[in-house]
Amino acid sequence: MAEIALSPPLSAFAALARHGRHGRAEGPAGVVVEELRGLALATVIARKGRAADLAAACRASFGVEPASTPRRTAKDGLAVVWSGPGQWLAVAEKGHPLTAGGADGLADALRGALAGLASVTDQSDARGALRLSGPRVRDALAKGLALDLHPRAFRPGDAASTWCALIDVQLWQVDAAPTYDLLVARGFAGSFWHWLEASAAEFGLEVR
Amino acid sequence: MTRSETPSPLPFRLPAGGLIDRSTEIRFSFDGRSYAGHPGDTLASALLANGVRLVGRSFKYHRPRGLLSAGPEEPNGLVELRAGARREPNTRATVAELYDGLEATSQNRWPSLRFDLMSLNQLAAPILSAGFYYKTFMWPAALWEKLYEPMIRRAAGLGRAAEAPDPDRYEKATAHCDVLVVGGGPAGLAAALAAARTGARVILADEDFRLGGRLLAEAQTIDGRPALEWAALAEAELEAAPEVRIFRRTTVFGAYDHGAYGAVERVNDHVATPPAYEPRQRLWRFVAERCVLAAGAIERPLVFPGNDRPGVMLAGAVRTYAHRYGVAAGREAVVFSTGDDALRTARELAAGGVTVAAWVDARREPPDALREAVQELGAPFYPDGAITAVHGRTSIQAVDIRTPLFQTTLECDLVAMSGGWSPTLHLTSHLGGRPVWDEALGAYRPGAPPPGMSVAGAAAGGMTLRECLATGGRLGLEAARAAGFEGTDAPPPVAWPESAAAATLWRGPTGKGKAFVDFQNDVTDADLELAEREGYRSVEHAKRYTTLGMATDQGKTSGVNAVGILAGLRGQGMAETGTTTFRPPYTPVSFGAMGGHHRGKEFRPTRRTAAHAWAAEQGASFVESGVWLRAEWFTRPGETDWMQSCAREVATVRGAVGICDVSTLGKIDIQGPDAAALLDRLYTGTFSTLPVGRARYGLMLREDGFVFDDGTTARLGAEHYLMTTTTANAGKVMQHIEFALQWLWPELDAQAVSVTEQWAQFAVAGPRSRELLARVVAEDVSNEAVPFMAALPVTLPGGVRGRLFRISFSGELAYEIGAPSSYGEALARALMEAGRDLGVAPYGLEALNVMRIEKGHVAGGELNGQTTARDLGLQKMVSTKKDFIGRVMAQRPALVAPDRPALVGWKSADPSVRVSAGAHFLDVGAAASMENDLGYVTAAAWSAHAGGWIGLGLMKHGPERIGETVRAWDAVRGRDTPVTLCAPCFYDPQGERLRG
Repeated sequence: MAEIALSPPLSAFAALARHGRHGRAEGPAGVVVEELRGLALATVIARKGRAADLAAACRASFGVEPASTPRRTAKDGLAVVWSGPGQWLAVAEKGHPLTAGGADGLADALRGALAGLASVTDQSDARGALRLSGPRVRDALAKGLALDLHPRAFRPGDAASTWCALIDVQLWQVDAAPTYDLLVARGFAGSFWHWLEASAAEFGLEVR
Repeated sequence: MTRSETPSPLPFRLPAGGLIDRSTEIRFSFDGRSYAGHPGDTLASALLANGVRLVGRSFKYHRPRGLLSAGPEEPNGLVELRAGARREPNTRATVAELYDGLEATSQNRWPSLRFDLMSLNQLAAPILSAGFYYKTFMWPAALWEKLYEPMIRRAAGLGRAAEAPDPDRYEKATAHCDVLVVGGGPAGLAAALAAARTGARVILADEDFRLGGRLLAEAQTIDGRPALEWAALAEAELEAAPEVRIFRRTTVFGAYDHGAYGAVERVNDHVATPPAYEPRQRLWRFVAERCVLAAGAIERPLVFPGNDRPGVMLAGAVRTYAHRYGVAAGREAVVFSTGDDALRTARELAAGGVTVAAWVDARREPPDALREAVQELGAPFYPDGAITAVHGRTSIQAVDIRTPLFQTTLECDLVAMSGGWSPTLHLTSHLGGRPVWDEALGAYRPGAPPPGMSVAGAAAGGMTLRECLATGGRLGLEAARAAGFEGTDAPPPVAWPESAAAATLWRGPTGKGKAFVDFQNDVTDADLELAEREGYRSVEHAKRYTTLGMATDQGKTSGVNAVGILAGLRGQGMAETGTTTFRPPYTPVSFGAMGGHHRGKEFRPTRRTAAHAWAAEQGASFVESGVWLRAEWFTRPGETDWMQSCAREVATVRGAVGICDVSTLGKIDIQGPDAAALLDRLYTGTFSTLPVGRARYGLMLREDGFVFDDGTTARLGAEHYLMTTTTANAGKVMQHIEFALQWLWPELDAQAVSVTEQWAQFAVAGPRSRELLARVVAEDVSNEAVPFMAALPVTLPGGVRGRLFRISFSGELAYEIGAPSSYGEALARALMEAGRDLGVAPYGLEALNVMRIEKGHVAGGELNGQTTARDLGLQKMVSTKKDFIGRVMAQRPALVAPDRPALVGWKSADPSVRVSAGAHFLDVGAAASMENDLGYVTAAAWSAHAGGWIGLGLMKHGPERIGETVRAWDAVRGRDTPVTLCAPCFYDPQGERLRG
């Protein structure tokens, strides 16, 4: 019998995100969305009483200082997003050297650098990730998110774990454009996408 | 839509004036007849302009009713708006913005509005008095369901809901601000301006389609200019302010905790069909640091005989129709008032050419200035007077006026009544604040408003324009300062002094005919008397007994009058008599808006496994399992019944190999030096002794000793475990662990995180499963390398890291294989490919269920939150050598009582007779009674292996009665079937197959 092979991996929104313009067709798109594929993700939870040592080790090994408030800190394509007391989500961009051997390379590297200081778990496949921007992105997100994204209240680097349209999400602001990255549990990608399409339709949605 | 330069020919449209676009005519229909109106009209103003006075029938007596008000308080003018799937009942014509093609239909009449046979109810009025619901139809009780209730419902129904699904979209959204201003009248505009000038983020919400509030409705002057010019400037400044959002057509309907306010924006109620991609309505959650309530005031009707006849209207509404809409509500008007405010109405009418036939003032000594002003209009002035009768049924012909000196009958077609104004303080009482009676004001003022809210203008009892502008500006600035902004005090705009002097009159002299207090629910002064006579002392009780204030208008025009009448009956003051508080919503909110996006399939989020698309390709029928969608079975060509598919899938697993997506089971990654200690405390069994590379079945109790959840937990490393939970309890178990780590044992150094979504996992079960896996997994999968309950990392094709567990739920040689979710679909396809020549097929939940019943594994039916480990025959899983959650409470006497229903197997005596879960066990010959109940069937399945219907159940002394025959009595399905009790395992009791 023929050699058994695995077909290529499928991202969470692969079957949902149809490229092009959706909703209102006139004028520039109010909301622009792009699936971030190939991110490596890992949860990092500090061992009992070792949060400070963990931060120091993280800085020493990766040049990133994990925040102790809901913030995202980043360097050279590797980010650490505060997700709770003593908990962070490490995010490596697609193509980051740590992920050369696969997305779980990030977790391996963290485990090595933070041995005895943190429990590290690969989550690269557990989330779907979207990058959202456009002049009406805040108005569209307001239809599902209770969070105040006004520039006085939420700035680039700010992060939050919250609910959007009844679905758990983790998000952070990338820049003042504004651009937001948003993670959703993979299984909910379909429901989240339907909500996003419906909510952005009146502003015009461009899927990149 | 047509444009014409000629003045409107409508019979009651004034020749000039009004905030309507007279150059554009729009058409609408009422009860099938076509009428004309203008942009800027409401349905109510357009009907009045066309001379339509009769707009509805009352709830109980089906009395002809006309418009009472010009605002959201309207109790009478309720219509069905639109048609077909967009039909919306009980819409207030007074706030329905007119649009071209609007269709409206009157309600609560049969066969027609003018000839309503149900108005015969009036003849039955003696039995329809207060409390008739509770008294008249009490006996004989048997007639309730069949006769009384349907009769009442048919007769009483207000409006009809649409029978087709609403084709429009609705949304929910959140907006944050520093200062929320509720109401866009003079006080609200002043507050918003003052707050906006500090740079604060301001939301100004008004229910009307145009800002201005009362300024739209009457001639006023601000800063020496027409007030509307000031309002326009204020609006322009607010529009230009970068941090101000103006929400028109938006009703703030509720105040909630922590500065949250509910509001509904009628985005597209003023067009026939919403534009593409736009919602009809949007439900807003405003989150505000501070709120200024500037909701204005609502005028009170006077209670006198015939006060509900079409043509008896609130004086303020009469001038609104004249000033804002250019509509004369009649030709000859009588004013009946307790205060000076109605003078504006008389002047507005006179200016529009309407005859003011008389001013009837309830006060013994009204101010001289008022008398002079009225007489200047050429109207006779009757102090200490009252209207004692209204002649006419569907319109007014004349009224009887009585003063201590004389009595007269005066021809007229309009009564403009004013019983004073009540602050619109509803939002102040939504969190429990009780309104406070102010004797001087003759009205309730806001009591303690919710934290962060202040009240400005008429809503606070400051009824003059001057007070509105002053308090609005001051409180707007204070609100912004409290939210952390700085601003300078500025003098308020200048308005002329005016008289808001008013007395109160809760009830005029009685006379011939009913005097209504609550128009919408048909409650009269006599009903309140009856309630008082029958001992309903509390206002809340009298309200419920008479149904006063319980209609969709929530008593906006009736509540205060009712308290006044009750106070009078008791000879008490208002403050001693009390008041009722208010609850959200201020005005009705549609279910569509409350649901927003979450309706139909989107009612709640759906969770799909990574291999969902593959399962669908394979013919899966999906069932909701919690929020997950799981395959129940896979229909193959030629299969016509799910039981056929299920039986084939069971045969495949028992005879060859099957694949089942088990990704939905909860997976929790537990690490740390104390991970083993944590698991020992969570589970009844011991996990610290589990070797690395092995898995063990675990049972978890709740603190109260009942079984919580079960699953298999594997040790991946010395300090690393992977726990699995049931699909249903995945979230709850995670919470349970968080609670244990954060609160029960914070000293434990263990970390837990869900990896349910990270791993796609498939059961590969059946005698040929090992053969199949050997083709997919790089490592040796022999019985020696991977013995029963082994757990190990494996390499999947292409070097993908996977996990392999040798565990079995089906009773066959079986494994679970995991891959990162991105490869979930790929792995499913690879397994199918690898097993093609082995006869592989996917199997679903139903086949899984049949096989677990055959093996006697407990699942949802048995893990129902009411069973103990002993009940389930799992006592051997409970360690006696250590402590764990639930250990102590599980030893309570009732939880170890010998007659607790315990797990037992059963088999139907007749293979052709079906038994379903839920059937109760009864002894043969025993009557079906609670006393004889022995327990019930928790799971049932047709088993090819057993050759009949088998199942599990919980039965008193069940394990001791094995071999006996009892009955499975199913009252729901009308079955009564003999079943033989047996041990709860029907298949391979020695477990040879799964270890082979």
